Amino acid sequence: MKKASSIRRNRILSNTAIYIILVVMSIVWLIPFVFILLQSFRTENTWMVGYVIPQEWGLDNYVNLFTETSFLKWYGNTLIIACFNAVLQTLMVMMMSYALSRLRFKGRKFLMNAMLVLGMFPGFLTMIILYYVLKGMGLTQSGAVPGLILVYFASSGMGYYVFKGFLDTIPKSLDEAARVDGATRFQVMRKVVLPLSKPIVIYTVLTAFMAPWADYIFASYIAFGTSSGYNVAVGLYSWLTKDMINTNYTLFCAGGVCIAIPITILFMCLQKYYVEGVTGGAVKG
Amino acid sequence: MATVKLTNVKKIYDKNVVAVQDFNLDIADKEFVVFVGPSGCGKSTTLRMIAGLEDISEGTIEIDGTVVNDLEPRDRDIAMVFQNYALYPHLSVFENIAFPLRLKKVDNDTVYKKVTEVAEILGITDYLMRKPRALSGGQRQRVAIGRAMVRDAKVLLMDEPLSNLDAKLRNQMRAEIILLRQRINSTFIYVTHDQTEAMTLGDRIVIMKDGFIQQVGTPEEVFDMPKNLFVAGFIGAPQMNFYNTELVRVGNDYYVTPFGTQMKVSEQKAAGLRAKGIGTMSVILGVRPEHITMGTPGKNDTFTAKILVNEMMGSEFHLHTTCPDDSECIVRIPTLKLDHDQRNALTARHEINITFGGEAMHLFDPETERNLLAEDDYITSDSPLEI
Repeated sequence: MKKASSIRRNRILSNTAIYIILVVMSIVWLIPFVFILLQSFRTENTWMVGYVIPQEWGLDNYVNLFTETSFLKWYGNTLIIACFNAVLQTLMVMMMSYALSRLRFKGRKFLMNAMLVLGMFPGFLTMIILYYVLKGMGLTQSGAVPGLILVYFASSGMGYYVFKGFLDTIPKSLDEAARVDGATRFQVMRKVVLPLSKPIVIYTVLTAFMAPWADYIFASYIAFGTSSGYNVAVGLYSWLTKDMINTNYTLFCAGGVCIAIPITILFMCLQKYYVEGVTGGAVKG
Repeated sequence: MATVKLTNVKKIYDKNVVAVQDFNLDIADKEFVVFVGPSGCGKSTTLRMIAGLEDISEGTIEIDGTVVNDLEPRDRDIAMVFQNYALYPHLSVFENIAFPLRLKKVDNDTVYKKVTEVAEILGITDYLMRKPRALSGGQRQRVAIGRAMVRDAKVLLMDEPLSNLDAKLRNQMRAEIILLRQRINSTFIYVTHDQTEAMTLGDRIVIMKDGFIQQVGTPEEVFDMPKNLFVAGFIGAPQMNFYNTELVRVGNDYYVTPFGTQMKVSEQKAAGLRAKGIGTMSVILGVRPEHITMGTPGKNDTFTAKILVNEMMGSEFHLHTTCPDDSECIVRIPTLKLDHDQRNALTARHEINITFGGEAMHLFDPETERNLLAEDDYITSDSPLEI
């Protein structure tokens, strides 16, 4: 009896400790978000201040953001890139992973190793040459949006690891059963493998959708000072230069909040698929 | 509806690992053929080659007279049941069974009719709307069989369909497969490592070892006339007892002499031996546990063995005994005929007197391991069978 109660006491103690740590961590994690949200509603002035709670509240920053700046253009640019990227990159990664996981062909091992090694080089190494290639195609500056879509899409196949890892866990006998049942390779993928890969497809869509919102280096390089080719990250950052920051700081905060909206909505919609796998009951476990 | 013919089929993995050697077999329309053998003998590989899931390294496979070597599985008109069920977890039982029909774009009414019909036969009507994960092992295997049945395929392939089930369910499903077979007009090819399944299900059994066919025959043939030591030991449970001994010819009669006894070989077998001109020679004598009988002490065809373990199986005892030369001898004795005292005598450390009936003796050549009475088209590792 005594022993049981001491086990219980220990469990309560360790749980309490864990929860305290988690709460502290999440507060630290949330502070910047709360801060930027509060600042975006501050209307008494537009520069950086030393306090957190606004003295005057209002939506002026949001109204100005969409009526008096190019933010809507940047936002549209990024949304277009993100949507294309989400679709194209997911398709590419999916096909790549399916081929590497399910088909056995000459050079498969070599291809996988080569991509692993190539992936270790930072992407920025290719920036200069990519710039000239894109420039030759007319896809820089005001043509930066299709340029960026092309660059993201072209390199996306390299990120097959996670997807392939997931496909490898789907029993091959399901493919075989479907093939015997009369399915073509494509039907096997569409009717059996894809429905079972829902969690990883969602994951790929989410990461592909989110990446363009945060890309600064490449996007600024390709847009090269042409405002109509900016994505939100590049556009917003242009407000933080020395002579812009005092007039645009609260606008910047409002822009930051706006970026979070589509990503959050998408995540909320898809998260229930994101969590659980659905392979239970397929084969004897 | 379909014959299957395998000619000189060979499977080589990675250029040097030979999984199946020179496999020749003609399977008649609507026949139920069982491939049986220990794991790694190539039986599953052969089945998968017929299904089209493995490439054929050499030789040809014909279904209904058409060479199918280069046909995709879906073009071979076959259905297959997998050991691990391979049900589609995202689809309901109904859609699982309907899957092959959906791929063929069969109209909804026909799909509904066929699926419910199959479900009726297999007794899974109540589960049609469930997902596979909500089913027990036996139910899942029924769904898998249903998915294979609904196709009306020419050939039905089954790859160890019962080995994931527990013993009781396995017996039940075995009987159901026999019933099923009577209902559908397909050619069956069934792979198992379980000799009981092979004996009870097959019209013909193909016994394989290390990629070679050892013997092809009806269950009676392989049981009564195993062509070599491997088949003799593989078919039948408990396993056949083997003894190194002498075969002695005295005039027209033959005797075997294990443990200093003299047991007469039956006249029928002796005639076979005479016809082959066999004289006195060393042999391996094989006797099945169920063919060993109690002998009369003192007679020269009887020897004494010591009981080590007595396994009570219900209807019979399995006695593990040691013979005079310390070799093992397993004896099956039906409990029905024994009275109380006789049963008590069959306990460990007691001795029993046993003899081998002349009819039930199997004689093998110690060098070639062939049955002395087997026909010349005998199959060993280097001489494949032509049927």
